[in-house]
Amino acid sequence: MSWFVDPWNPSHGASFEAGTGPDSRSSADVDLDVELPTGAWNARRAPGDVRAAGAVLLVDGVRRIDATVWTAEPDGGSLPGLAASYAAGIVRCDLRGGTADLVAGEVRRGVFTASPTAGDLVTRHATYTRHRVQRGELEQLPAAVQGPLTALEVAVTGAAADADLVVVDGKLGGREAAATTIGYIKTQHRMYLPPAQAALVARLAAGERTPVFRIGDRWPSLSWYLRLPGPRGGPWAGVVRVECAAALPLPEAVRLADLSQVTLPLLASQAYKDPRAPQNLTPIAGLERRLRRLLGDGRLLHRAMSLAAG
Amino acid sequence: MDDATGVPEPAAPRPAAAGAAAAGEPAAGDRAATAGEPVGRVLGTADATPLTFWTAVAPDGYLQLDDVVTTTRALPGRDPVSIAGVVTAVRARHEGAQFDSDVFAIAEGMLPAQVQEAAEVTTTRIDPEVYVPPRPGAPVHRATGAARDAALHFDRMSRAVPIGCGRDGQPTYLNADFLDGQRGAHVSISGISGVATKTSFATFLLYSVFRSGVLGADGVNAKALIFNVKGEDLLFLDHPNTRLTPETVQAYTRLGLPAGPFPDVRVYAPPRADSSGTPDVTSRTSGVDSFYWTLAEFCAKRLLPYVFADADDERQQYTMVVHAVTAQLARLAVPAEGGISLDGVRIGAYEALVDHLVDQLSDEDTRASWTGSAVSLGTVNAFARRLIASKRDLGRLIRGDLATRRPHEINTTEGAQVTVVDLHNLPDRAQRFVVGVTLKTEFERKEKAGTAKPLLFVVLDELNKYAPRDGSSPIKEVLLDIAERGRSMGVILVGAQQTASEVERRIVTNSAVRVVGRLDPAEASRPEYGFLPPTARQRVLLARPGTMFVNQPDIPVPLCLEFPFPAWATRHAEAGPPPAATLRSITQRTDPFAVVGSGATAVGDDEIPF
Repeated sequence: MSWFVDPWNPSHGASFEAGTGPDSRSSADVDLDVELPTGAWNARRAPGDVRAAGAVLLVDGVRRIDATVWTAEPDGGSLPGLAASYAAGIVRCDLRGGTADLVAGEVRRGVFTASPTAGDLVTRHATYTRHRVQRGELEQLPAAVQGPLTALEVAVTGAAADADLVVVDGKLGGREAAATTIGYIKTQHRMYLPPAQAALVARLAAGERTPVFRIGDRWPSLSWYLRLPGPRGGPWAGVVRVECAAALPLPEAVRLADLSQVTLPLLASQAYKDPRAPQNLTPIAGLERRLRRLLGDGRLLHRAMSLAAG
Repeated sequence: MDDATGVPEPAAPRPAAAGAAAAGEPAAGDRAATAGEPVGRVLGTADATPLTFWTAVAPDGYLQLDDVVTTTRALPGRDPVSIAGVVTAVRARHEGAQFDSDVFAIAEGMLPAQVQEAAEVTTTRIDPEVYVPPRPGAPVHRATGAARDAALHFDRMSRAVPIGCGRDGQPTYLNADFLDGQRGAHVSISGISGVATKTSFATFLLYSVFRSGVLGADGVNAKALIFNVKGEDLLFLDHPNTRLTPETVQAYTRLGLPAGPFPDVRVYAPPRADSSGTPDVTSRTSGVDSFYWTLAEFCAKRLLPYVFADADDERQQYTMVVHAVTAQLARLAVPAEGGISLDGVRIGAYEALVDHLVDQLSDEDTRASWTGSAVSLGTVNAFARRLIASKRDLGRLIRGDLATRRPHEINTTEGAQVTVVDLHNLPDRAQRFVVGVTLKTEFERKEKAGTAKPLLFVVLDELNKYAPRDGSSPIKEVLLDIAERGRSMGVILVGAQQTASEVERRIVTNSAVRVVGRLDPAEASRPEYGFLPPTARQRVLLARPGTMFVNQPDIPVPLCLEFPFPAWATRHAEAGPPPAATLRSITQRTDPFAVVGSGATAVGDDEIPF
């Protein structure tokens, strides 16, 4: 028996959170016979003529809960709410030219509550737009922020133009993905592969990927697993899942898979600089820092809200 | 021939806003309107104070050290405050980078980061004087024209002497009030020998005083006494520089000065030891006169103490003997055919005088009449030893063999505008003797005249040798006298030294204008240079020849400037034809063909003088 130490800082959990038991197996309909027949699955290396993308766009969003608020309803009751700031942005990495610029960055603030009477929360420094949510329990409210944030990410992606590869942090979800767009999933919550193929993932060397397979859940996609270079901290350390639109023709999907296989390892982060290395890509980490700065000072906003609520 | 031929007319030698001072202070708003392009904004991540603040530089702009900027601060119920300053530090950094190695990721295009430049501004002027900080976010403008002159206080100088160009290429001025004694006097120049160009700056400063016209009649009538201690490079001040480039001429024009040699220069050199008494110079052959003292003058003017001008001599016992012998010489010596007669003995040379004195002191019978009775033999011998040692050094300066009537005296009041005294081939003791006696004579002459005008500028290099920090000597006393009383008497000391820390503190502190060229790193950290802000202290280690930092009392930061290359020759190889005046011998000091009012404004020889 030997031990592995997971490279991620424990406060961020682990990169592989799917258990091995049947309950963590995804119920989604998975079709393995897409790129290769199930029986012929092997670790794929990129063909020698594939070069890394020259220009990569990376899309990400950040959010922060600025305050928990309570409403005073006309009937004397009170409902909880969350005041949150969230931002989405795009960084354009020109790997040939050697520049990484923030090409778009948008900040929104919203107050999320089930209260039927609440309006916008106006403070001295910022205005929090009201978002009415269906389920008003405090525990459910953080999830409600995700919808507007994703919408904002989609909105800023629309502003971005030409790129060889567009990397969206997280699942593509319902967004209309272009032929160059891939979703990038750092943390594995679900196990999509049967044990035989999962063992192949554990055996992948740095820079190798599995063949493309199809996932047929609510938002179908073509997907593959990819191992990034980094310390060997366990069977699934450094493994990410990448997906593209299910509607893409197979050769296009394979081309994207090959391209991601040579491009993403270049952007992988260093263990001593990032608690979620190597999966948390360096440009994404930089983008998140820039976006967090755009969110403004949380304490200042909290004070402004307290004063406004007076 | 006319040495001024081809010299361009000086441009208007006025700082742009000088007229504004006379016409009343312009309002702060007016000055802001003349400010140049915006270059950035006051940043808020560092404290902004009324005296220093940081400016974030806009992505498409830049600020360099010494740039002049302005910003304004609106105040409720008052006029806006205009805050102007000089950039004293600049920095650039990657924002968004956390680790030093992030720079590689950023340069490879993997990590988004922003390059941000920031500049520290040291306030030079707040107008009106309400000491409030600028607000973060306030736009900062590059100051040009009147705004720059106001920021650097040039607009308040009623008489501004151009001293060079700042880093922005614009003229920089010195307030003449702090040069001519009205509010201050004396200039102290420090810097490493060879690189700091101390002497060049001193001569350029004189040139500017004489030729800019800023001091009016005082500037024209002012005299200068320059001691040339190294090489023969100051002997050609009146020769045009054949290697003058058009760029240099342009630099002079920008400062409102003609580019030419000093018009009226007289050079004195020590005589050769032979009986001809011709001046001992090699490269300059015409227009040089010998200077020396006759034995009779030596005795009558009590010059013996200056023979013992080493700093530590004064602490010795034998100084009593020096003063006793000096007094005795003054009483007994009778002039006799160039030499003197002492007790009926004819003495015709300094060596003979020394021998005679030593004989008299060795003799039991005569010793007491020279020294008084209470002096021990050891003290007398110490005096005799030093006196004998001086024979070789001073023999050719104190003469009994040359005609008494022959002019040999250094006299700035009757001589040319610039008097150069060449010391470079004299031994150390002789240099001290000449400097000490000459300065004492000039100072006494000014004392007698009782008026500060005309001004006398004294340029003396290696001040640490003549007025060292420790000890005292007759020559140091003369220099201290000049430093402390010269301001009211119209004697302005332009002293230069490698290290101001080794010069008598009272001389340095009495200098209103302090100039620093390239400094030695250990020297730059001494408290004598406290007027230099920390970044300036680093920069003086890198200063190139021709770059000086000038500190004057009414500007709170030293100004970095470059002064133009000399328009006069600094060595024989680059000397053009000598001016006509130098061809006259000293016996024809008054040119019979010159019209009244000769000198700087003399009519050229080829012209009809009426």
